[in-house]
Amino acid sequence: MKLSLNWIKKYIDLPDYITSKQIAYDLTLRTVEVESVENTAEKFHDIVVGKILEIKAHPNADALRICIVDIGLNEPVQIVCGGSNLYEGEMVVVSKPGAEVVWHGEGEPVVIKETKMRGEYSYGMICGAEEVFLDKLFPPENDHAIVDLKGVDCKPGDNIADVIEMNDTVIEIDNKSLTNRPDLWGHYGIARELSCIYNVPLKELDKVEIDSTLPKYNVEILEPTKCQRYVGVEIENVYEKESPMWMKAALINGGMRPINAIVDITNYVMLAVGQPTHAFDRTHVKGEKIVVRNAKQGEQLLLLDDNCIALTEDDLVISDTESALALAGIRGGKKDSILPETTGVLLEVANFTAKTIRKTGKRFDEKTDSSIRYEKNIDTERVDLGRDMALMLFKELFPESKVVKYNDVYPVKTEREKIDVEQEFLDVRLGKVIPKETIEKVLTSVGYDVSFQDGVYHVTVPVWRSTGDVSLKDDVMGDIARLLSFESFEAKPLPVNFEHAVHQNTALLERRLREYLAYRCGMNEIFTYPWIEDKYIYAAKIDVTKSIKLATPPSPESAILRSSLVPGMLEAISKNLRYMTNFKMFEMAQVFEKGEYHPSSEEETLPVHKKYLTGSVVGKDAKAIFYEAKGIIENMAEYTHMEGLHFVKGERPTWADVNAYLDIMRGETKVGTLSLVSVQTMMDSKIKRTNVAVFELDFGLLVPFASRTNEFEHLPVLPLVEKDLSLLVDESTTWADIHSTIKAKVKEVEFIEEYRGNQIPEGKKSIVLRLRLSNDDGMLTSEQINSKVDSIVKSLNNRFGITVRAE
Amino acid sequence: MEILQNMDNILKAGLEQIEATKTVEELQDVRRELTGKKSPLSEVSKSMGSLDAEARKQVGMKISEIKTTFETKLNEKEAALIASKSVLDEPLDLTLPGTKINGGALHPITQMCYDLNDAFASLGFEVYSEDDISSEKYAFDNLNFAADHPARQSMDTYWIEGTEDKAGTERLCLRPHLTGGSVRYLLKHGAPARFVYPGRVYRNETTDARHERAFFQYEALIVDKNISFSSGMVMIQTILEKVFGRKINVRMREGFFPFTEPGYEIDMECLVCGGKGCKVCNHNGWIEVMPGGVIHPNVLKSANLDPNKWTGFYINIGLDRLVMMRYGVDDVRLFHSGDLRFLNQFK
Repeated sequence: MKLSLNWIKKYIDLPDYITSKQIAYDLTLRTVEVESVENTAEKFHDIVVGKILEIKAHPNADALRICIVDIGLNEPVQIVCGGSNLYEGEMVVVSKPGAEVVWHGEGEPVVIKETKMRGEYSYGMICGAEEVFLDKLFPPENDHAIVDLKGVDCKPGDNIADVIEMNDTVIEIDNKSLTNRPDLWGHYGIARELSCIYNVPLKELDKVEIDSTLPKYNVEILEPTKCQRYVGVEIENVYEKESPMWMKAALINGGMRPINAIVDITNYVMLAVGQPTHAFDRTHVKGEKIVVRNAKQGEQLLLLDDNCIALTEDDLVISDTESALALAGIRGGKKDSILPETTGVLLEVANFTAKTIRKTGKRFDEKTDSSIRYEKNIDTERVDLGRDMALMLFKELFPESKVVKYNDVYPVKTEREKIDVEQEFLDVRLGKVIPKETIEKVLTSVGYDVSFQDGVYHVTVPVWRSTGDVSLKDDVMGDIARLLSFESFEAKPLPVNFEHAVHQNTALLERRLREYLAYRCGMNEIFTYPWIEDKYIYAAKIDVTKSIKLATPPSPESAILRSSLVPGMLEAISKNLRYMTNFKMFEMAQVFEKGEYHPSSEEETLPVHKKYLTGSVVGKDAKAIFYEAKGIIENMAEYTHMEGLHFVKGERPTWADVNAYLDIMRGETKVGTLSLVSVQTMMDSKIKRTNVAVFELDFGLLVPFASRTNEFEHLPVLPLVEKDLSLLVDESTTWADIHSTIKAKVKEVEFIEEYRGNQIPEGKKSIVLRLRLSNDDGMLTSEQINSKVDSIVKSLNNRFGITVRAE
Repeated sequence: MEILQNMDNILKAGLEQIEATKTVEELQDVRRELTGKKSPLSEVSKSMGSLDAEARKQVGMKISEIKTTFETKLNEKEAALIASKSVLDEPLDLTLPGTKINGGALHPITQMCYDLNDAFASLGFEVYSEDDISSEKYAFDNLNFAADHPARQSMDTYWIEGTEDKAGTERLCLRPHLTGGSVRYLLKHGAPARFVYPGRVYRNETTDARHERAFFQYEALIVDKNISFSSGMVMIQTILEKVFGRKINVRMREGFFPFTEPGYEIDMECLVCGGKGCKVCNHNGWIEVMPGGVIHPNVLKSANLDPNKWTGFYINIGLDRLVMMRYGVDDVRLFHSGDLRFLNQFK
């Protein structure tokens, strides 16, 4: 919303020392957020009125003229101009050297200089409306027309800003910051806030006495819950003409375009007091009767642009005895426009409830200056302010006008809210004791009535804030706090509460896991969207029958919410492969599937949520990345202090390679999977020339320890004897076979490497392992060592035909 | 005496030999040659038997003197050689880069979140998390949103297919804010309470460098008896001091949210211009960082708490924006890009 500071000053006398910057600051802190402050005269510097004294042909250009122009200097100046509407004696707008204009109304401003045009000297520029920000005031007739100031009170040399009354400051307010304040959608409401902030009186608006003997205009409200009041005033001897400059300037600075004096009056009233009004050509109201009713199903309303809209029974219309004239509170139809032949109007000043306006506005996706105000829920008393101001303006702009008929149908009146606020409540919640006089003064200045009795403020809320905005003592407290400015309350320490230490095992495990993966395992944490492009879901061959979908997804192919983090991981891998070859990533996030879950209450049923932890290792050597990923899982429990994990051969995940997949187990519970990604899945997700190992864990199934559970073991008294063995093993024999055979016979056994190659026969592999032997009784002799190793080799040979490789 | 003259030569030659030695290993050999059984000195002492007593005494003293000199010089030389010895057997280019550590990283949002968790833990706040999908009741109704509030429309909120035309507990959405979690926590744990609940929220928006459909918030809530809204300032200062490492000027100003009364917007001094006004802060010196406010009585009622007894306040901070300010990131969409070129900058 745009506010003209000149306009606000009609309602309060602000001391001179208060700058517009200060006003912006104070409004922002206490009332509404100011987005910008603009001096409207600034852009008109060096742009003045000129009078064309003489027009000569240009010797070198048919389309250009040489004009001799009086711009208030000692001597007239010569200006070359291509305007299509030049004539001698014309009053025009001249940009002098130094002025900034916008060529053809587009792009950045350009500084005017003295120049030569096709060989002829030109002092400055005779301007078109769009070039000097005047198109709202002087709509150009064609692209080559220059502004003709005919009929405007001015003389050569006058600064344009003075002529068009643009010596103003425009304060622009963020509309979002006043959604809850129906009283602030006009200059008068903002003036009221400023009167409180600066402690200056707010001027009363002029009241108009309605002649009670006037004949009644026929008004019928069929829907009093939607239309709570309707004032209809028939005025004659009004017609289409231009408004005076002061009103045009006010409307422009208030963000609207002047149209004609009748429409301008209705808009001016709305911008002044926030009450929308409407003027119908009285001859367009058939049967001289206004009916406020619901539309009939399928009823049509013809709009100004000749488009028709189909109405429903939910839509409220203003109608005459024949058909709908306007969509109530939102916009008029074609039938109601002011035309050159208009001689009288029916002025509507009405109250429509927020709910009906919002509903209909939503259906037609229509927001107008009127509807955004009604949507905030305006009180019914505002009709008086709007009516009186409109009547005053009609009298001023059309002195010959006359009110001939009147009616005020007023079925529902906004009642002022009454609230009791205990002094103690204010003392505690505000955090400091505010003197009674201060509270009374602050509240009274914005329209509250306050009386104090036995420690309680009995507060009557102003009617303009009694439509939902202020209804609780907390609202009153909030008003006091903001009007005194939040800055005037010092920060208070938080109350102490030392009942127990914060101890949250699950939250801590989550953090340890992320830190383990990032810092110990060298993985990067990523975040992907919960909606997944479905080609990655299909690439991972995930069953989507239990998936949750969005009703209005970001894009048609991203409607499915993830039930696994693997598809998002595949997408991230395929994107990163453009820039790098070896990398490791993980993500921890919630996944969803159909089901029943009641986190807070039985009546609320949500889909099943699980928190998954998914990691990937990307690199060319499939075996190496598989074992790297396996190592990450194997070491995870020890480093993150949770119950241990192990692997069993399980069911193949849909995205897994035919040979490389394992279930990850905690005790007897499956908590996740580890696998290489299949050739098919990689192809379908555009992962090329590399391999991917991926693990996925259900975080909810991991069990954190309440504390560290490491156990101390005495250091060995005697050193362990190390002995490496290089074995020749059948391909069919696994490490698990070897390990289980050996482990009881030695202190420790460690896998060193697996090898296939030239020296190894077909169908065999070489495995190198390291034994650590000890004897609690004493130092092992070399005979004892040899005999132990021999016995190990023998049992390996017996069970699996394993032999020791000759060195 | 010829033999003494000879010994002077042995001494001189020996000292020259020691001096010329280049390595510790060579010195071992020299030591053996000069002081061993086959050394010239040893030869001399073997030939002493043919000398008279006086001469023998003189030669003996001379031998012992030379031996001592050799020992001393050998030891000195050895010490000097060790001192100058290097472990390297080839030249070392000190300017070559060191070995790279292939460490990963937490997401910058997670880092920020953990920084804040640590700060709030020190004030006794718990960490809570609500689920991503919520019902309209918890996302809007409980929080005092008007029945026809625009945020409830599908233009703003991602509703779940099949529930979009229902209402209340049956209409489900990806949560549009974290605040719904406050009522869930309070229903479960009651009051007094102090907790933070970080998380991701979702809005149906057109994305650009400053707008995202999925973004992160960090909300903190305290509920207690007899506390003043001005205590909320402490929570705000805690956050900003933690993030920027020093005290940051803040201001509270009027703001409106359905779930607060009063509500406020919190601005921090623009760090780029120090409050003088620049492009970043739209020339007013302040940057809007978080909303906050006193819990609306209707919200407390939703949580089965008596608003006459309990009060409290929220603050809610956009983590994306805070991280963007911390590092000068200029495109919010990078956070969900999974692009390692971006994420690797925040080790």
